[in-house]
Amino acid sequence: MCGIVGYIGEKKAQPILLNCLSKLEYRGYDSCGIAVSANGIEVHKDALRVKALTKALPVLDGAAGIGHTRWATHGEPSKLNAHPHCDCAGRIAVVHNGVINNFQKLRDQLTAEGHNLVSQTDTEVIPHLIEKYYDGDFEKAVGLALHDIEGSYTMIALMAGEPRLVVARKDSPLIIGIGDRENYIASDVPALLNYTSRVIYLEDGDIAVVTADAVEVKQDGASIVREEHKILWSVEDAQKGGYEHFMLKEIHEQPKVIRDTLSEYISAAEPAADLTGVDGSSLDDILILACGTSYHAGLVGKYIIEGLVNVPVRVELADEFNYSGQASARNKAIVITQSGETTDVLKAIRKLRETGCRVIVITNVVGSTASRIADRTVYTRAGPEISVAATKTFLAQLIALYWLALPYSRVDIGRLDDLVLEIRQLPVKVQRVLDNETAIADCARQLAGFENVFFIGKGINYPIAMEGALKLKEISYIHAEGYAAGELKHGPFALLGSNTPVVAVVAQDNTYEPMVTSIKEIKARQSPVLALVSEEDETMEGLADSVITVPQIDPLFSPVVNSVVLQLLAYYVARERGCPVDFPKNLAKSVTVE
Amino acid sequence: MKQAIVLAAGEGQRLRPFTVTRPKTMLSIADKPILQFVVESLAQNGIRNIIFVVGYRKEQVYDYMGSGEQFGVEITYVTQETQLGTAHALSQVKDMAEDEFLVLPGDNLIEAHTIADFVQIKPEAMLVERVSDPVRYGVVSMDGSEVKDIVEKPEEAGSNMVNTGIYAFTKDIFKFTESVLDIPDALNNMIAEGYTINALETGGTWLDVVYPWDIISLNDAVLRNIEVSLGGTIEAGASIKGKVMVGEDTVVRAGSCIYGPVVIGSGCDIGPNVCIMPATSIGDNVVISPFTEIKNSVIGNDVTIGAGGIISDSVIDRGCVLKGRFTAVGGQSEVRINGESPSINVGVMMGEDCNVESNVTAQPGVIVGNYCQIQMSKIISGRLPDKSLVY
Repeated sequence: MCGIVGYIGEKKAQPILLNCLSKLEYRGYDSCGIAVSANGIEVHKDALRVKALTKALPVLDGAAGIGHTRWATHGEPSKLNAHPHCDCAGRIAVVHNGVINNFQKLRDQLTAEGHNLVSQTDTEVIPHLIEKYYDGDFEKAVGLALHDIEGSYTMIALMAGEPRLVVARKDSPLIIGIGDRENYIASDVPALLNYTSRVIYLEDGDIAVVTADAVEVKQDGASIVREEHKILWSVEDAQKGGYEHFMLKEIHEQPKVIRDTLSEYISAAEPAADLTGVDGSSLDDILILACGTSYHAGLVGKYIIEGLVNVPVRVELADEFNYSGQASARNKAIVITQSGETTDVLKAIRKLRETGCRVIVITNVVGSTASRIADRTVYTRAGPEISVAATKTFLAQLIALYWLALPYSRVDIGRLDDLVLEIRQLPVKVQRVLDNETAIADCARQLAGFENVFFIGKGINYPIAMEGALKLKEISYIHAEGYAAGELKHGPFALLGSNTPVVAVVAQDNTYEPMVTSIKEIKARQSPVLALVSEEDETMEGLADSVITVPQIDPLFSPVVNSVVLQLLAYYVARERGCPVDFPKNLAKSVTVE
Repeated sequence: MKQAIVLAAGEGQRLRPFTVTRPKTMLSIADKPILQFVVESLAQNGIRNIIFVVGYRKEQVYDYMGSGEQFGVEITYVTQETQLGTAHALSQVKDMAEDEFLVLPGDNLIEAHTIADFVQIKPEAMLVERVSDPVRYGVVSMDGSEVKDIVEKPEEAGSNMVNTGIYAFTKDIFKFTESVLDIPDALNNMIAEGYTINALETGGTWLDVVYPWDIISLNDAVLRNIEVSLGGTIEAGASIKGKVMVGEDTVVRAGSCIYGPVVIGSGCDIGPNVCIMPATSIGDNVVISPFTEIKNSVIGNDVTIGAGGIISDSVIDRGCVLKGRFTAVGGQSEVRINGESPSINVGVMMGEDCNVESNVTAQPGVIVGNYCQIQMSKIISGRLPDKSLVY
């Protein structure tokens, strides 16, 4: 997982490259660097964030260059291992996003042939291979070099004296932004929003030659036309607008995200995707695959679909499924991926397709790889999410799952009407949670002093407890565990005590009574309890140590409001502890390596 | 003048329940917050560097205005922690102000032509307007085009000229903002020290919202100037006349009549057989069920209105669910707010996220707080506090 950018045109490349890189830091930020071509190639890189590197740099001339922000896989974050990497003569520079599987073999070969490789990275073999094959034709040399590589190699190569960049895409995303007598290259759309709204999405196996006024794409040596797309995101979508952190801004955007996502679904006369079998019969079962936060959305999806549609649902982690999972051709699979580029997920989709299983993808990124290899894509309308901790995309995924299930629900018409009415009310209910921010921040201050926190939930809110724990640990570095309330007594009870608070997500459904029992058991072990309860609840006030109320809502939709409370809770805990909320250590937004 | 400072921190207590969760600047008129009218007026006059002084419920401003990109301006936010007064608000931006700048209230609705001449004026200066009921405002007495003094809400007004709260200043103003709380006091002190304050009269739109029902008359005034634009799907058999705006993804079903001026947001489901009559604004994601008539009213986002309703001269805030046969029709009534009891002609003023069961009738002038629940077949009157339950 890394971010790469390139520029060729008439302006100075340096500020453009650095600005684009800063927009890609969500893809990794342990080190970064740029290479600019003027009279020769000048490379500047270090184990720094983009902002720090920007300050440290001299002014470079040159209207062509490449840049990279890194999430380390091969070799620790260091100046030496940062990209761009060069050949022996320092005439070729390469930035790369991916993993080269046969790099050790290539490296040994190159070293034996007299090349001097200095870093521990897999990437460094690429410039040396290009150097080896170069006979005056830059493009050909890149093609030959890539031919030797096994693995994923989305990359950009720059060569001294060459008025063009050679780029390739394999397994990680890459787009080309079209400008006026200038062209841009980047891993993702947000990097280019300041400069252009016209982009070309490269496909796997594409090699493109980009000059200031032309883009030529080839697949297997033959020229191919890739359609130009217009980006509808605005720059504004990617700025903080008053908020201290992107995460808080994105949490606050959620009422609008729900409204936008719903408007699109509701106005389409048809269901979001077909959830029936081949001949319209009902499915035997549905498989949901995802990773991380999306996996938690998938778990909620299980309760939604089983509750409404009456079909058994299996939820698996995409990566685990790749090793041992089974699916039959008669099934449907729903794959949830924010970016549509997560490697583990893409692998799982390909595996599903091989077995003949039809795949519905839920993703936030139009034109992403996942959407292009799926049978059907349901888009969430969350806009670009910059904060590494996912918030609004998670909520939008839940909305997509509700909307997938509702047309196939087996509930009576009165209940269905009520549910449609309630789902339309969600923007306001979420807004009410946001309006209660001060009370949630107060509770967060109490939690911030602890080092271990348990989250419990039951039924459809069990995954919300897991998601709440994930949010807390990823941004506040507090050790947190999400448990099904009933499981606590099978082990974790041993860890309870006055130093281990428990956050209980309580819903007004058939789980209410057992949750009350669980909380009593926890109180008996002296753990402080923070309970999330509906505003109509009257008993919890006397039972829990502190209470956060959420607006009254049908229990089926309670995960939506509860997850917003837990997002704010995690945010304010992290802020209280002085953590870098938007850029937690060791994490990256979408993981495009295994 | 290249810079504007917009004061957007105030709460607007007299506008409750609508200002419990949002500042006054974010009240929606013709589907746009008041603040957006101010920003668009500035942008059209070439002023793109805007500082917002925010405070009360500032997140609502962030969420809607963002960085300003969407409106073609660049917005910087400064927080006024406690809302002590306009001079105090202005003093928060002392270090960011350019040599000359405009100051505007974010909660008065203006249009581009209101300030078209004023943006060229030499500071110090204030924009004034002639009104028929000056005692509600700061009355300005003038000597030629020079301001002599400003008296807030006098018992008897010496002139019809009132302060719009729109000023052009140099940095000198900051010498006077520390010792007083409101800008007119600072100006009176400046005059006393020999400064010349020029007054420029505008005949352009300048509207203030003081009471909840002012939203209805402002909405009516602003809707007269809208441009026709039809997005979404208008089914065959729907009749649309006059100036009507319909947003993306909205469906207007067969048999419905929409007579402009009317604004309907995006993602709405209207009809079949619904009548939307002139001077009505409807937000996003609103459902209006068959055989309902709405007239001269403002309906917020995410509202659902059941079948057979009659609503006129009313404001229904976001997220309300009104089941079938809801009736709220304007009529003469007296409502007491902060000791004042003007006689008005209104239907219902309903706060956000209320749940109203079927067959409820609201008597003219009733104010329903936020998050109220009203059971079937009730007649409601007077003033219901937030979270009321009517059984």
